[in-house]
Amino acid sequence: MVEELLFFMEVLVGGLLAGTMYSLVALGFVLIFKASATFNFSQGAMVFFSVLAFCGFMQDFNIPFVLAFILAALLMVVVGLCTERLVLRPLMNASEDTVLMATIGLGYVLEGLAQAAWGVEVRRLDLGIGDFPVPWIADNLKLFISALDIFAGLVAALMIIGLSLLFKFTKIGLGLRAVADDAGAASSIGIPLKHIMLLVWSAAGVVALVAGCMWGARAGVQFALVDLALKALPVLIIGGFSSIPGAIIGGLIIGATEKVLEVYIGPFFGGAIEGWAPYVLAIFFLLYRPEGLFGEKIIRRV
Amino acid sequence: MSNSSTNILDIKNIEVRYDNVILALHDVSLKVPKGKVVALLGANGAGKSTTLKAVSTMLASERGKVTKGSIDYDGNSVEKQTPSQMVNLGMVQVLEGRRCFGHLTVEENIISGAYSRKLSKGDINQELEKIYTYFIRLKERRKSQAAFTSGGEQQMIAVARAMMAKPKMLLLDEPTMGLAPQLVAEIFNIVKELNKKEGVSILLAEQNTNVALKNSDYGYIIETGKVMLDGTAESLLSNEQVKELYLGISKKGRKNFRDVLKEESLNKKSN
Repeated sequence: MVEELLFFMEVLVGGLLAGTMYSLVALGFVLIFKASATFNFSQGAMVFFSVLAFCGFMQDFNIPFVLAFILAALLMVVVGLCTERLVLRPLMNASEDTVLMATIGLGYVLEGLAQAAWGVEVRRLDLGIGDFPVPWIADNLKLFISALDIFAGLVAALMIIGLSLLFKFTKIGLGLRAVADDAGAASSIGIPLKHIMLLVWSAAGVVALVAGCMWGARAGVQFALVDLALKALPVLIIGGFSSIPGAIIGGLIIGATEKVLEVYIGPFFGGAIEGWAPYVLAIFFLLYRPEGLFGEKIIRRV
Repeated sequence: MSNSSTNILDIKNIEVRYDNVILALHDVSLKVPKGKVVALLGANGAGKSTTLKAVSTMLASERGKVTKGSIDYDGNSVEKQTPSQMVNLGMVQVLEGRRCFGHLTVEENIISGAYSRKLSKGDINQELEKIYTYFIRLKERRKSQAAFTSGGEQQMIAVARAMMAKPKMLLLDEPTMGLAPQLVAEIFNIVKELNKKEGVSILLAEQNTNVALKNSDYGYIIETGKVMLDGTAESLLSNEQVKELYLGISKKGRKNFRDVLKEESLNKKSN
């Protein structure tokens, strides 16, 4: 009995921590969705692009770890700058659907650029933190939990705290929330939309880099990272597209349920249900709580 | 007239098109003297909002464009400006329908108006206190989420937010839309006070002709994108045609100025 419970705990905790990896990807979507009400289809490509650049700096140019990370982050700011200038500004007055289509195109451009610059082979990324159970926890709590999962959980927690503080207490955060509510009204009182867009895309780029590092360390830096973005979709539907805490909680729920379902219900379906179980969950949310758990409710006065 | 320095805003014969096709304004000219309140009156679709957006350069975001004529604000053309540059130059528009940031608190809404100014926390608090002396009601509700305040309060938030930018000129687009008469009076009192004490020039678009003229110095009446009549507020209030068409003191079935002009030309012919 005790052993069964421990096994359940292990599955659950492992799932929750793996979920924070989804949260990190989803966080980038939320940032852009808040400011431009657009689902950024290029987020997956940004993850791939940023982490491949990071590896490229380290492995091809022998730049030390920290410096390479800073360079990759700066590169993502440049990507944000170019996106604002070349894609968003010309489409300033276009409909949200047009911007949505543009992000799909942007994704292809980033994928292509990344592979043209750093090649197509799978690269290994070593963060210095192994993807194996932490001995101390295994010995004392009898739980086998990956060090990388724990690290990802800590990083996700730091990111959410940092971003929440930024939005709540800084001037540019106030500007961002104002733009998120009503971009027209924000520009009527002199909040420059282009600064906000630049900030948001750069922040989403850096978040993509962090998410890419986690996933790259686990699964190798490869093209498949682009499709990770798809896993963020159910996370966002459950957590709410416009909520940062929602992205985190959504990730945890997806991570935990897919692992638990896989282990306990999977055998009845012949296994491998974690690939589609999150989407089933997402459909239920779309039916019964379309704004997600933490999404901003559409406030209507009566 | 060469007294351009006394007019903070000078619109000369502008024509505005949306999507390069739809003609929204044919020929609108108007002046706002420094420190005065000017009313721009007309029915739905007459072109009041379009005129204001042409001035604040917010037309571009709706795919509109000034295709003829000129707009000078404070001695400079607004042609090449962006909305945020106009705010920096001291012109702020309060958009139709209040447009508060619903998920922000009342106070955050007001503070957001100071975004374009480089103020310290202390300065912002000082400005806030000053703004609250005009909008006493908002001070009580400062911590509420703006979406849950009443229509009148939301209008006050919108005006207070605009005042945080320290404007020389305010463009108010239908500030009393959908408000109870008592609130209409309250809003206009605040507007008058801001005009007197802060010296803000005001261009006011309204359908509420009577109240608007009573609180203005000068008025323009536009219909289907054209200025039909202008004059001092008193002269418009006592004008028979204005009374008939806009103040609801009707004698015959005439509906707008075009009908009046038609009738007059018929009368001339028969004479």
